[in-house]
Amino acid sequence: MRSRGPLLAASLAAAGCVSSVEASAAAQTATAETTHTLYAESPTRTRMLVYTPGGSVKVDPTGWLGLRVAYEADVVSGATVAVKAGGAYQRNNPAADVVTTASVRDLRSLATGAVSLRHEDVTFTTSYAYSTERDYRSHSINPAIRTDVYGHNTQLEISWAKSIDEVCDRVQGTSDAVTRRRALEDATGCFTKDPLRTGRDLGVDGFQGSWSQSWTPILATQIVYTAQLIHGFQSNPYRSVIVAQGLRAQEHHPEDRARHALAVRANLYLKPIKGALRLMLRAYRDTWDLRSGTAELEFERYFGEALRASLRGRIYRQSGALFFSDDYTGGDPPAGPKGAYFSGDRELSPFTSALGGVRATYTFRPREGRLLGLARDARASGTLDVIGFSYDEFTLGGAPIENARALVAGLSLAASF
Amino acid sequence: MARALAPFALLALTWTSACVTVRPVERARLADPIMQFDGDPVAAARARHVLENREGSMGGAGVAGGGCGCN
Repeated sequence: MRSRGPLLAASLAAAGCVSSVEASAAAQTATAETTHTLYAESPTRTRMLVYTPGGSVKVDPTGWLGLRVAYEADVVSGATVAVKAGGAYQRNNPAADVVTTASVRDLRSLATGAVSLRHEDVTFTTSYAYSTERDYRSHSINPAIRTDVYGHNTQLEISWAKSIDEVCDRVQGTSDAVTRRRALEDATGCFTKDPLRTGRDLGVDGFQGSWSQSWTPILATQIVYTAQLIHGFQSNPYRSVIVAQGLRAQEHHPEDRARHALAVRANLYLKPIKGALRLMLRAYRDTWDLRSGTAELEFERYFGEALRASLRGRIYRQSGALFFSDDYTGGDPPAGPKGAYFSGDRELSPFTSALGGVRATYTFRPREGRLLGLARDARASGTLDVIGFSYDEFTLGGAPIENARALVAGLSLAASF
Repeated sequence: MARALAPFALLALTWTSACVTVRPVERARLADPIMQFDGDPVAAARARHVLENREGSMGGAGVAGGGCGCN
Protein backbone atom coordinates (compact mmCIF):
# COMPACT_ATOMS: atom_id res chain seq x y z
CA MET A 1 0.00 0.00 0.00
CA ARG A 2 1.37 3.40 -0.95
CA SER A 3 1.84 6.09 1.64
CA ARG A 4 -0.57 8.98 1.29
CA GLY A 5 1.84 11.32 3.10
CA PRO A 6 3.53 12.82 0.06
CA LEU A 7 0.29 13.62 -1.73
CA LEU A 8 -1.19 15.03 1.46
CA ALA A 9 1.85 17.27 1.80
CA ALA A 10 1.42 18.39 -1.80
CA SER A 11 -2.23 19.17 -1.18
CA LEU A 12 -1.26 21.29 1.81
CA ALA A 13 1.27 23.11 -0.32
CA ALA A 14 -1.36 23.74 -2.97
CA ALA A 15 -3.54 25.25 -0.30
CA GLY A 16 -0.71 27.60 0.64
CA CYS A 17 0.01 25.91 3.96
CA VAL A 18 3.64 25.23 3.11
CA SER A 19 5.88 26.89 0.61
CA SER A 20 7.82 24.08 -0.95
CA VAL A 21 6.97 20.43 -1.26
CA GLU A 22 7.64 17.69 -3.71
CA ALA A 23 6.20 14.24 -3.25
CA SER A 24 6.85 11.01 -5.02
CA ALA A 25 5.54 7.50 -4.79
CA ALA A 26 6.08 5.27 -7.79
CA ALA A 27 4.11 6.98 -10.58
CA GLN A 28 2.84 9.62 -8.18
CA THR A 29 4.91 12.78 -8.07
CA ALA A 30 4.25 16.21 -6.66
CA THR A 31 6.58 19.16 -6.96
CA ALA A 32 6.38 22.59 -5.39
CA GLU A 33 8.64 25.60 -5.52
CA THR A 34 8.81 29.10 -4.17
CA THR A 35 10.73 31.85 -5.93
CA HIS A 36 11.46 35.46 -5.07
CA THR A 37 12.88 38.04 -7.44
CA LEU A 38 13.89 41.64 -6.84
CA TYR A 39 14.37 44.11 -9.70
CA ALA A 40 15.86 47.52 -8.97
CA GLU A 41 16.91 50.39 -11.21
CA SER A 42 17.27 54.13 -10.77
CA PRO A 43 18.36 55.81 -14.00
CA THR A 44 18.09 59.55 -14.58
CA ARG A 45 14.92 60.97 -12.98
CA THR A 46 13.14 57.64 -12.62
CA ARG A 47 13.41 54.60 -10.41
CA MET A 48 11.72 51.22 -10.24
CA LEU A 49 11.62 48.54 -7.57
CA VAL A 50 9.72 45.35 -8.30
CA TYR A 51 9.49 42.45 -5.84
CA THR A 52 8.08 39.27 -7.35
CA PRO A 53 7.22 36.46 -4.97
CA GLY A 54 5.72 33.29 -6.35
CA GLY A 55 4.94 29.68 -5.67
CA SER A 56 3.93 26.66 -7.70
CA VAL A 57 2.83 23.09 -7.08
CA LYS A 58 2.98 20.38 -9.70
CA VAL A 59 1.32 17.02 -9.13
CA ASP A 60 1.51 13.90 -11.27
CA PRO A 61 -1.10 11.61 -9.69
CA THR A 62 -0.69 9.00 -12.42
CA GLY A 63 1.73 8.35 -15.23
CA TRP A 64 -0.56 9.94 -17.80
CA LEU A 65 -1.80 13.01 -15.93
CA GLY A 66 -0.04 16.12 -14.66
CA LEU A 67 -1.51 19.11 -12.83
CA ARG A 68 0.11 22.41 -11.98
CA VAL A 69 -1.03 25.51 -10.14
CA ALA A 70 1.05 28.64 -9.66
CA TYR A 71 0.73 32.13 -8.31
CA GLU A 72 3.03 35.10 -8.57
CA ALA A 73 2.79 38.81 -7.89
CA ASP A 74 4.65 41.93 -8.95
CA VAL A 75 4.80 44.46 -6.15
CA VAL A 76 5.79 47.65 -7.96
CA SER A 77 6.91 51.00 -6.61
CA GLY A 78 8.86 53.79 -8.21
CA ALA A 79 8.62 56.78 -10.48
CA THR A 80 8.20 56.77 -14.25
CA VAL A 81 8.14 59.39 -16.97
CA ALA A 82 4.66 60.97 -17.21
CA VAL A 83 5.39 63.63 -19.83
CA LYS A 84 8.13 63.00 -22.40
CA ALA A 85 9.74 65.77 -24.40
CA GLY A 86 12.77 65.88 -26.63
CA GLY A 87 15.83 68.07 -26.72
CA ALA A 88 14.58 70.46 -29.42
CA TYR A 89 11.47 71.32 -27.42
CA GLN A 90 13.49 71.83 -24.25
CA ARG A 91 15.87 74.18 -26.06
CA ASN A 92 12.89 76.26 -27.25
CA ASN A 93 11.56 76.39 -23.69
CA PRO A 94 14.70 76.76 -21.59
CA ALA A 95 12.92 78.17 -18.58
CA ALA A 96 10.56 75.22 -18.14
CA ASP A 97 11.21 71.69 -16.94
CA VAL A 98 9.15 70.06 -19.68
CA VAL A 99 9.68 66.46 -18.57
CA THR A 100 7.69 65.28 -15.57
CA THR A 101 7.59 62.03 -13.64
CA ALA A 102 4.89 60.38 -11.57
CA SER A 103 4.95 57.95 -8.68
CA VAL A 104 3.88 54.40 -9.39
CA ARG A 105 2.51 51.87 -6.93
CA ASP A 106 0.87 48.75 -8.22
CA LEU A 107 0.28 45.08 -7.57
CA ARG A 108 0.05 42.57 -10.38
CA SER A 109 -1.31 39.14 -9.48
CA LEU A 110 -0.98 36.18 -11.82
CA ALA A 111 -2.65 32.82 -11.18
CA THR A 112 -1.99 29.89 -13.51
CA GLY A 113 -3.45 26.40 -13.78
CA ALA A 114 -2.23 23.72 -16.19
CA VAL A 115 -3.18 20.16 -17.12
CA SER A 116 -0.90 17.72 -18.95
CA LEU A 117 -1.95 14.47 -20.59
CA ARG A 118 0.70 11.95 -21.61
CA HIS A 119 0.41 8.98 -23.91
CA GLU A 120 3.59 7.13 -24.78
CA ASP A 121 5.89 9.79 -26.30
CA VAL A 122 3.27 12.50 -26.71
CA THR A 123 2.41 15.12 -24.10
CA PHE A 124 -0.48 17.54 -24.44
CA THR A 125 -0.50 20.48 -22.05
CA THR A 126 -2.96 23.30 -21.73
CA SER A 127 -2.83 26.14 -19.27
CA TYR A 128 -4.98 29.06 -18.28
CA ALA A 129 -3.67 32.23 -16.66
CA TYR A 130 -5.50 35.17 -15.14
CA SER A 131 -3.61 38.33 -14.40
CA THR A 132 -4.96 41.44 -12.80
CA GLU A 133 -3.70 44.89 -11.90
CA ARG A 134 -5.62 47.99 -10.90
CA ASP A 135 -5.48 49.11 -14.53
CA TYR A 136 -5.00 45.89 -16.50
CA ARG A 137 -6.72 42.50 -16.83
CA SER A 138 -5.64 39.50 -18.82
CA HIS A 139 -7.06 36.06 -19.59
CA SER A 140 -4.72 33.66 -21.40
CA ILE A 141 -4.87 30.10 -22.64
CA ASN A 142 -1.82 28.23 -23.87
CA PRO A 143 -2.26 24.73 -25.36
CA ALA A 144 0.88 22.89 -26.44
CA ILE A 145 1.72 19.45 -27.79
CA ARG A 146 5.11 17.80 -27.67
CA THR A 147 6.41 14.51 -29.00
CA ASP A 148 9.64 12.54 -28.76
CA VAL A 149 10.70 10.71 -31.91
CA TYR A 150 13.70 8.84 -33.29
CA GLY A 151 14.56 7.10 -30.02
CA HIS A 152 14.07 10.25 -27.92
CA ASN A 153 16.81 12.01 -29.87
CA THR A 154 14.32 14.47 -31.37
CA GLN A 155 11.67 16.53 -29.60
CA LEU A 156 9.11 18.54 -31.54
CA GLU A 157 6.73 20.96 -29.88
CA ILE A 158 4.13 23.39 -31.10
CA SER A 159 2.10 25.74 -28.96
CA TRP A 160 -0.43 28.48 -29.32
CA ALA A 161 -1.28 31.23 -26.88
CA LYS A 162 -4.31 33.48 -26.84
CA SER A 163 -4.62 36.45 -24.53
CA ILE A 164 -7.69 38.61 -24.14
CA ASP A 165 -6.63 41.71 -22.26
CA GLU A 166 -8.25 44.94 -21.18
CA VAL A 167 -6.41 48.17 -20.41
CA CYS A 168 -7.96 50.94 -18.33
CA ASP A 169 -8.07 54.33 -20.01
CA ARG A 170 -9.59 57.72 -19.56
CA VAL A 171 -12.75 58.36 -21.54
CA GLN A 172 -11.69 60.42 -24.56
CA GLY A 173 -13.83 62.69 -26.67
CA THR A 174 -15.17 60.75 -29.64
CA SER A 175 -14.36 63.54 -32.04
CA ASP A 176 -10.96 64.32 -30.55
CA ALA A 177 -7.92 63.99 -32.76
CA VAL A 178 -5.23 61.77 -31.26
CA THR A 179 -3.20 64.86 -30.46
CA ARG A 180 -6.05 66.04 -28.22
CA ARG A 181 -6.26 62.85 -26.17
CA ARG A 182 -5.27 63.19 -22.55
CA ALA A 183 -3.39 60.63 -20.50
CA LEU A 184 -4.95 58.64 -17.68
CA GLU A 185 -4.23 60.44 -14.39
CA ASP A 186 -4.36 57.41 -12.10
CA ALA A 187 -6.11 54.06 -11.70
CA THR A 188 -8.94 55.39 -9.56
CA GLY A 189 -12.26 54.16 -10.93
CA CYS A 190 -10.74 51.65 -13.35
CA PHE A 191 -13.00 48.67 -14.11
CA THR A 192 -15.89 50.21 -12.22
CA LYS A 193 -18.92 52.12 -13.45
CA ASP A 194 -16.99 55.38 -13.22
CA PRO A 195 -18.17 57.40 -16.26
CA LEU A 196 -14.69 58.88 -16.68
CA ARG A 197 -13.06 55.47 -17.16
CA THR A 198 -13.24 52.95 -19.95
CA GLY A 199 -11.58 49.68 -20.94
CA ARG A 200 -9.52 49.37 -24.12
CA ASP A 201 -9.20 45.91 -25.67
CA LEU A 202 -5.93 44.21 -26.43
CA GLY A 203 -5.73 40.79 -28.07
CA VAL A 204 -2.61 38.69 -28.44
CA ASP A 205 -2.21 35.51 -30.49
CA GLY A 206 1.06 33.66 -30.21
CA PHE A 207 2.40 30.63 -32.04
CA GLN A 208 5.60 28.75 -31.34
CA GLY A 209 7.32 25.75 -32.83
CA SER A 210 10.51 24.16 -31.57
CA TRP A 211 12.79 21.34 -32.61
CA SER A 212 15.29 19.97 -30.11
CA GLN A 213 17.89 17.48 -31.29
CA SER A 214 20.52 15.35 -29.61
CA TRP A 215 23.35 14.95 -32.10
CA THR A 216 25.99 13.21 -30.02
CA PRO A 217 26.22 12.11 -26.35
CA ILE A 218 27.50 15.61 -25.50
CA LEU A 219 25.84 17.94 -28.02
CA ALA A 220 22.22 19.04 -28.33
CA THR A 221 20.67 21.88 -30.30
CA GLN A 222 17.31 23.60 -30.39
CA ILE A 223 15.61 25.85 -32.92
CA VAL A 224 12.61 27.92 -31.81
CA TYR A 225 10.38 30.08 -33.98
CA THR A 226 7.90 32.41 -32.34
CA ALA A 227 5.23 34.56 -33.97
CA GLN A 228 2.90 36.95 -32.21
CA LEU A 229 0.03 39.04 -33.51
CA ILE A 230 -1.17 41.89 -31.34
CA HIS A 231 -4.25 43.97 -31.94
CA GLY A 232 -5.57 46.76 -29.78
CA PHE A 233 -4.42 49.42 -27.38
CA GLN A 234 -0.65 49.13 -26.97
CA SER A 235 0.26 52.52 -25.53
CA ASN A 236 1.00 53.34 -21.92
CA PRO A 237 -2.24 55.13 -20.94
CA TYR A 238 -0.46 57.23 -18.30
CA ARG A 239 2.24 58.65 -20.56
CA SER A 240 2.03 61.90 -22.49
CA VAL A 241 4.29 63.14 -25.24
CA ILE A 242 4.93 66.77 -26.17
CA VAL A 243 3.86 66.90 -29.83
CA ALA A 244 3.80 70.64 -30.51
CA GLN A 245 4.41 73.94 -28.74
CA GLY A 246 2.37 73.83 -25.55
CA LEU A 247 0.54 70.65 -26.60
CA ARG A 248 0.92 67.29 -24.95
CA ALA A 249 -1.04 64.21 -25.94
CA GLN A 250 -1.46 60.67 -24.69
CA GLU A 251 1.12 58.33 -26.22
CA HIS A 252 -0.25 56.90 -29.47
CA HIS A 253 1.04 53.58 -30.85
CA PRO A 254 -0.26 51.66 -33.89
CA GLU A 255 -3.01 49.16 -33.04
CA ASP A 256 -1.51 46.22 -34.94
CA ARG A 257 1.85 44.56 -34.54
CA ALA A 258 3.14 41.29 -35.95
CA ARG A 259 6.31 39.98 -34.33
CA HIS A 260 8.68 37.19 -35.37
CA ALA A 261 11.64 35.69 -33.55
CA LEU A 262 13.97 32.85 -34.44
CA ALA A 263 16.33 31.47 -31.81
CA VAL A 264 19.03 28.82 -32.07
CA ARG A 265 20.54 27.15 -29.02
CA ALA A 266 23.39 24.73 -28.59
CA ASN A 267 24.44 22.93 -25.40
CA LEU A 268 27.84 21.27 -25.26
CA TYR A 269 28.94 19.06 -22.37
CA LEU A 270 32.58 19.54 -21.38
CA LYS A 271 33.53 16.16 -19.98
CA PRO A 272 36.99 16.96 -18.51
CA ILE A 273 35.61 19.67 -16.22
CA LYS A 274 32.11 18.27 -15.73
CA GLY A 275 30.52 21.41 -17.09
CA ALA A 276 28.40 22.67 -19.94
CA LEU A 277 28.59 25.53 -22.37
CA ARG A 278 25.27 26.96 -23.55
CA LEU A 279 24.96 29.32 -26.50
CA MET A 280 21.86 31.16 -27.71
CA LEU A 281 21.48 33.39 -30.75
CA ARG A 282 18.21 35.14 -31.58
CA ALA A 283 17.01 37.37 -34.40
CA TYR A 284 13.81 39.40 -34.10
CA ARG A 285 11.76 41.61 -36.40
CA ASP A 286 8.31 43.11 -36.27
CA THR A 287 5.97 45.22 -38.39
CA TRP A 288 6.90 48.35 -36.44
CA ASP A 289 10.27 47.76 -38.13
CA LEU A 290 11.96 47.09 -34.83
CA ARG A 291 14.79 44.62 -35.35
CA SER A 292 17.08 43.09 -32.80
CA GLY A 293 19.82 40.55 -32.32
CA THR A 294 20.70 38.72 -29.12
CA ALA A 295 23.70 36.60 -28.22
CA GLU A 296 23.94 34.78 -24.91
CA LEU A 297 26.64 32.51 -23.58
CA GLU A 298 26.49 30.62 -20.31
CA PHE A 299 28.97 28.32 -18.66
CA GLU A 300 27.92 26.04 -15.83
CA ARG A 301 29.88 23.43 -13.97
CA TYR A 302 29.74 21.24 -10.90
CA PHE A 303 31.79 21.76 -7.76
CA GLY A 304 31.43 18.39 -6.12
CA GLU A 305 28.20 16.43 -6.27
CA ALA A 306 25.84 18.98 -4.77
CA LEU A 307 26.92 22.43 -5.92
CA ARG A 308 26.84 23.81 -9.41
CA ALA A 309 27.48 27.38 -10.47
CA SER A 310 27.19 29.31 -13.68
CA LEU A 311 28.37 32.51 -15.30
CA ARG A 312 26.44 34.10 -18.10
CA GLY A 313 26.77 37.03 -20.43
CA ARG A 314 24.25 38.47 -22.85
CA ILE A 315 24.47 41.18 -25.48
CA TYR A 316 21.33 42.68 -26.99
CA ARG A 317 21.06 45.29 -29.73
CA GLN A 318 17.87 46.71 -31.21
CA SER A 319 16.93 49.33 -33.78
CA GLY A 320 14.15 51.75 -32.99
CA ALA A 321 10.56 51.43 -34.10
CA LEU A 322 9.88 53.13 -37.43
CA PHE A 323 7.87 55.89 -35.79
CA PHE A 324 10.18 56.48 -32.84
CA SER A 325 11.56 59.97 -32.44
CA ASP A 326 13.12 61.61 -29.42
CA ASP A 327 11.25 64.81 -30.31
CA TYR A 328 7.92 64.84 -32.14
CA THR A 329 7.59 68.61 -32.37
CA GLY A 330 8.28 70.31 -35.68
CA GLY A 331 5.44 68.75 -37.65
CA ASP A 332 2.57 70.64 -39.25
CA PRO A 333 1.62 73.61 -37.05
CA PRO A 334 -0.18 74.19 -34.84
CA ALA A 335 -0.82 70.64 -33.62
CA GLY A 336 2.07 68.70 -35.13
CA PRO A 337 3.37 66.11 -34.63
CA LYS A 338 6.00 64.56 -36.86
CA GLY A 339 4.33 61.39 -38.10
CA ALA A 340 1.07 59.66 -37.27
CA TYR A 341 2.27 57.94 -34.09
CA PHE A 342 4.23 59.20 -31.12
CA SER A 343 5.86 57.37 -28.24
CA GLY A 344 7.72 58.14 -25.07
CA ASP A 345 8.71 54.52 -24.62
CA ARG A 346 12.45 53.98 -24.36
CA GLU A 347 11.89 50.28 -25.19
CA LEU A 348 11.00 51.40 -28.73
CA SER A 349 14.17 53.47 -29.18
CA PRO A 350 17.45 52.13 -30.52
CA PHE A 351 19.71 50.88 -27.75
CA THR A 352 22.21 48.27 -26.67
CA SER A 353 22.09 46.33 -23.44
CA ALA A 354 24.58 44.03 -21.80
CA LEU A 355 23.89 41.53 -19.05
CA GLY A 356 26.29 39.72 -16.76
CA GLY A 357 25.11 37.25 -14.18
CA VAL A 358 25.99 34.46 -11.77
CA ARG A 359 23.91 31.61 -10.48
CA ALA A 360 24.52 28.93 -7.88
CA THR A 361 22.41 25.86 -7.15
CA TYR A 362 22.83 23.52 -4.21
CA THR A 363 21.02 20.21 -4.07
CA PHE A 364 20.52 18.43 -0.76
CA ARG A 365 20.13 14.71 -1.39
CA PRO A 366 20.41 12.37 1.61
CA ARG A 367 22.38 9.18 1.02
CA GLU A 368 19.65 7.22 2.75
CA GLY A 369 16.23 8.02 4.09
CA ARG A 370 14.60 11.40 3.68
CA LEU A 371 15.44 14.92 4.80
CA LEU A 372 13.57 15.69 8.03
CA GLY A 373 11.96 12.31 7.59
CA LEU A 374 9.96 13.57 4.62
CA ALA A 375 12.03 15.15 1.87
CA ARG A 376 13.61 13.03 -0.82
CA ASP A 377 15.79 15.97 -1.79
CA ALA A 378 15.78 19.75 -1.69
CA ARG A 379 17.24 22.45 -3.88
CA ALA A 380 18.21 26.08 -3.27
CA SER A 381 19.41 28.43 -5.96
CA GLY A 382 20.34 32.08 -6.12
CA THR A 383 20.92 34.38 -9.06
CA LEU A 384 22.34 37.85 -9.48
CA ASP A 385 22.21 39.71 -12.79
CA VAL A 386 23.37 43.20 -13.68
CA ILE A 387 21.98 44.77 -16.85
CA GLY A 388 23.33 47.94 -18.43
CA PHE A 389 21.45 49.93 -21.07
CA SER A 390 22.95 52.42 -23.51
CA TYR A 391 20.37 54.50 -25.36
CA ASP A 392 21.34 55.97 -28.73
CA GLU A 393 18.61 58.61 -29.08
CA PHE A 394 16.24 58.55 -26.12
CA THR A 395 16.60 61.55 -23.85
CA LEU A 396 14.54 63.36 -21.25
CA GLY A 397 14.31 66.89 -22.63
CA GLY A 398 17.73 66.48 -24.22
CA ALA A 399 19.33 65.02 -21.09
CA PRO A 400 20.67 61.55 -21.83
CA ILE A 401 19.67 58.65 -19.60
CA GLU A 402 22.57 57.95 -17.30
CA ASN A 403 23.10 55.17 -14.80
CA ALA A 404 20.70 52.98 -16.78
CA ARG A 405 21.62 49.86 -14.88
CA ALA A 406 19.32 47.31 -13.34
CA LEU A 407 20.03 44.78 -10.63
CA VAL A 408 18.05 41.56 -10.62
CA ALA A 409 18.38 39.15 -7.69
CA GLY A 410 16.53 35.86 -7.39
CA LEU A 411 16.12 33.11 -4.82
CA SER A 412 14.43 29.78 -5.40
CA LEU A 413 13.71 27.02 -2.89
CA ALA A 414 12.32 23.58 -3.64
CA ALA A 415 12.26 20.19 -2.02
CA SER A 416 11.15 16.73 -3.01
CA PHE A 417 9.44 14.33 -0.65
CA MET B 1 14.22 31.98 -53.24
CA ALA B 2 15.28 31.38 -49.65
CA ARG B 3 11.65 31.04 -48.60
CA ALA B 4 11.01 28.49 -51.34
CA LEU B 5 13.98 26.42 -50.23
CA ALA B 6 13.16 26.58 -46.52
CA PRO B 7 10.69 23.64 -46.44
CA PHE B 8 13.16 21.44 -48.34
CA ALA B 9 15.95 22.43 -45.97
CA LEU B 10 13.72 21.56 -43.02
CA LEU B 11 12.85 18.20 -44.53
CA ALA B 12 16.53 17.49 -45.17
CA LEU B 13 17.43 18.40 -41.61
CA THR B 14 14.62 16.24 -40.24
CA TRP B 15 15.74 13.31 -42.37
CA THR B 16 19.31 13.87 -41.15
CA SER B 17 18.13 13.87 -37.56
CA ALA B 18 16.43 10.52 -38.12
CA CYS B 19 19.86 9.06 -38.86
CA VAL B 20 21.26 10.35 -35.58
CA THR B 21 21.38 7.65 -32.97
CA VAL B 22 22.45 8.49 -29.47
CA ARG B 23 21.74 5.25 -27.69
CA PRO B 24 19.96 5.29 -24.32
CA VAL B 25 23.13 4.15 -22.57
CA GLU B 26 24.91 7.22 -23.98
CA ARG B 27 22.34 9.72 -22.80
CA ALA B 28 23.55 10.25 -19.23
CA ARG B 29 25.24 13.58 -19.95
CA LEU B 30 22.40 14.81 -22.13
CA ALA B 31 20.04 14.10 -19.23
CA ASP B 32 22.15 16.10 -16.77
CA PRO B 33 20.33 19.22 -15.48
CA ILE B 34 23.08 21.48 -16.85
CA MET B 35 22.37 20.20 -20.39
CA GLN B 36 18.64 20.94 -20.37
CA PHE B 37 17.14 23.67 -22.55
CA ASP B 38 14.31 24.12 -20.05
CA GLY B 39 16.03 22.92 -16.91
CA ASP B 40 14.55 25.63 -14.69
CA PRO B 41 11.41 26.92 -16.42
CA VAL B 42 10.25 29.06 -13.50
CA ALA B 43 13.53 30.98 -13.28
CA ALA B 44 13.66 31.25 -17.06
CA ALA B 45 10.15 32.70 -17.17
CA ARG B 46 11.11 35.28 -14.53
CA ALA B 47 14.20 36.32 -16.46
CA ARG B 48 12.14 36.56 -19.65
CA HIS B 49 9.52 38.70 -17.88
CA VAL B 50 12.21 41.16 -16.79
CA LEU B 51 13.87 41.43 -20.18
CA GLU B 52 10.67 41.64 -22.23
CA ASN B 53 9.56 44.59 -20.12
CA ARG B 54 12.78 46.45 -20.83
CA GLU B 55 13.27 45.52 -24.49
CA GLY B 56 11.23 45.88 -27.66
CA SER B 57 11.63 42.20 -28.56
CA MET B 58 10.19 38.89 -27.45
CA GLY B 59 10.11 35.24 -28.40
CA GLY B 60 12.43 32.36 -28.94
CA ALA B 61 11.55 30.82 -25.59
CA GLY B 62 7.86 31.07 -24.71
CA VAL B 63 4.59 32.57 -25.88
CA ALA B 64 2.34 32.41 -22.82
CA GLY B 65 0.74 35.69 -21.78
CA GLY B 66 -0.20 37.02 -18.41
CA GLY B 67 -0.36 40.72 -17.85
CA CYS B 68 1.16 44.00 -18.72
CA GLY B 69 4.01 44.80 -16.36
CA CYS B 70 4.41 47.87 -18.55
CA ASN B 71 5.75 50.32 -15.98
